Amino acid sequence: MAERSNIDQLDDALTAIAEGRHLDLTTVEPQVSALIDVARDLFGLPREAFIAELKQQLKGRDAMSSPAQQPELNQVRSVSIHLCVANGNAALDFYREAFGATELMRLAEPDGKIGHAALKIGNMVLSLSDEYPDYGSVSPLTIGGSPVKIHLDVPDVDAFAEQAIRAGATLVRPIADQFYGDRAGDIKDPFGYTWKISTHIKDVPIEDMQKEVDKFAQEEAAKKEKKLTRPSLRTVTPYFTVHRPAELIDFVTKAFGAVEHFRTTGSAGGMHAEISIGDSMVMIGGAEHITPKPTAIHLYVSDVDDAFRRAVDAGAKTLMEPADQPYGERSGGVEDAQGNRWYIATTFVPLHTIASDLHTVTCYFHPIGAQRFIDFVTNAFGGKELMRHAEGDMIMHAKVQIGSSVIELGEARFPSQPLPTAIYLYVDDVDAMYEQALKAGGLSMLAPTNQDYGDRSAWVKDPFDNVWYLAAPIRTT
Amino acid sequence: MSQATESEERFLIEAAQKDPGRFAELYEQNFHRVYAYVARRVRDRAETQELTSHVFHQALANLGKFKWRGAPFAAWLYRIAANAIADQARRKQRETNEQPDKASESSTLIDLEQVERRALLFRAVETLPDDQRRVIILRFAEEKSIREIAGELGRSEGAIKQLQFRGLENLRNRLNVN
Repeated sequence: MAERSNIDQLDDALTAIAEGRHLDLTTVEPQVSALIDVARDLFGLPREAFIAELKQQLKGRDAMSSPAQQPELNQVRSVSIHLCVANGNAALDFYREAFGATELMRLAEPDGKIGHAALKIGNMVLSLSDEYPDYGSVSPLTIGGSPVKIHLDVPDVDAFAEQAIRAGATLVRPIADQFYGDRAGDIKDPFGYTWKISTHIKDVPIEDMQKEVDKFAQEEAAKKEKKLTRPSLRTVTPYFTVHRPAELIDFVTKAFGAVEHFRTTGSAGGMHAEISIGDSMVMIGGAEHITPKPTAIHLYVSDVDDAFRRAVDAGAKTLMEPADQPYGERSGGVEDAQGNRWYIATTFVPLHTIASDLHTVTCYFHPIGAQRFIDFVTNAFGGKELMRHAEGDMIMHAKVQIGSSVIELGEARFPSQPLPTAIYLYVDDVDAMYEQALKAGGLSMLAPTNQDYGDRSAWVKDPFDNVWYLAAPIRTT
Repeated sequence: MSQATESEERFLIEAAQKDPGRFAELYEQNFHRVYAYVARRVRDRAETQELTSHVFHQALANLGKFKWRGAPFAAWLYRIAANAIADQARRKQRETNEQPDKASESSTLIDLEQVERRALLFRAVETLPDDQRRVIILRFAEEKSIREIAGELGRSEGAIKQLQFRGLENLRNRLNVN
């Protein structure tokens, strides 16, 4: 019983110490008192988890978990560059000729493939190897370029560039005096790496450099401002003028998954709405009292059969069942209830590989005299013919680039009758383009005017009865 | 509870200087000393851990500079610890804008015998019979109450108190033998 009591006495004392209470040792047995002395030193016993964790850290397995505590361990002593190239031997030759590199060592496989080679350019040592895709080593030529550029500071940048270009490098950015006090430029080697080369000419204070950067940023901003205020609008935007615009919006929504952005009342008292179909914006407007101007559209979709079926379900009339065409697409045609023609197509190759500015909605024209039409859009709007397919004198199909858009056309022939329409044309300078269009044979319908919706616009009718609404944001300066 | 002899320690240091992977052995030999040294001056557990960790990281990073001059390796570690404690105190003063604490300046002189004794005590815990060791660790390292320990180990509070008593008795005996 005495020990039992000692056990309790000890625990009472330990609890008091742990809780920071005053401890009365006068009534405590000496045997207990001796243990209390031991226990006092035991408070603060290190935790096993801490001991083990610190050991792990010191072993380096967990070195990153406390980087602040071990700066010396993380100190980098040197940085060097390792290049993976498509042909190690050719690269060693090239760097020797182009940059005056000296080879320090090479480890080659029996067939000459370079596993590792070290070379010295000036006082920089770099290494290279051939491609080993199985080990994650691939070169810029394989992956389509390298975002990393290597900077070489050289005594005579012009002479250096000349020698490199003679050896097979290409000049990417011309050698010129730069605002930051260097004469510099970029060259690209035959293995896909870009080298920034420079010679220091003069010291420029950092504040002055920053001023130049600010100036550059301002100029860039001004350039952007000059561009369209609504970047979703490309140069050529079809304007569907119909008696019942709401019905057409309903149709394109059901048939082609169009999205309405807004609708309002247009300048002629009808509806004006902006709708996106795929990656393109179109305008839909009109009213019962306004003369309709139906449009023909080459509509590039991912699944022509599906779009065709939905268009027919939504009330369109079949012009042509979907079928594979010899000119590289599967296409079908419908005409909606208000006379717009939709040539729905899925191309056999990605759209942008046909023309980089080809988009979902592409205006299609059926002029009588396709060559004259091409001449007109060339002279009036700076159009550039991208391709044509002709049979004899007859242009069956052609693509013309206008600004950031591509239009398509084919000579009017049965059943593709002329379908004069309306097109919004966003331009940099309405007045200049208007003059040019009139000179090319256009007819003025509205001289350049500032509209209260924020555009300066001018209307020109071409010799084929299409109306082009030239527009640009009103300049504030 | 083996303590390395002078020649063993020298061998361990040279081995770790060649291969930092071997530092673990020096760490194990000296952990409780450094911890006890720091705990002597710093009451807070988190701070004690932080400073102890700092001392060993510093020691590992600077091991190449260590030259054997006959003094035990622990003396070098104590010096790193003393500097770290003083730095920490100065930092705190700056942060809190307090006047330098006279007592803390002088108390960098720590009774090393006490430190060694406490380090031995800490190490001795490792040699206790398993059930006593678990109770002592839960009570003094994890700072749990008898009730919590009883719940955790699934035993009565009386049994835990008894294990605590026996454990402390054993520790006292081992210290007296040493």
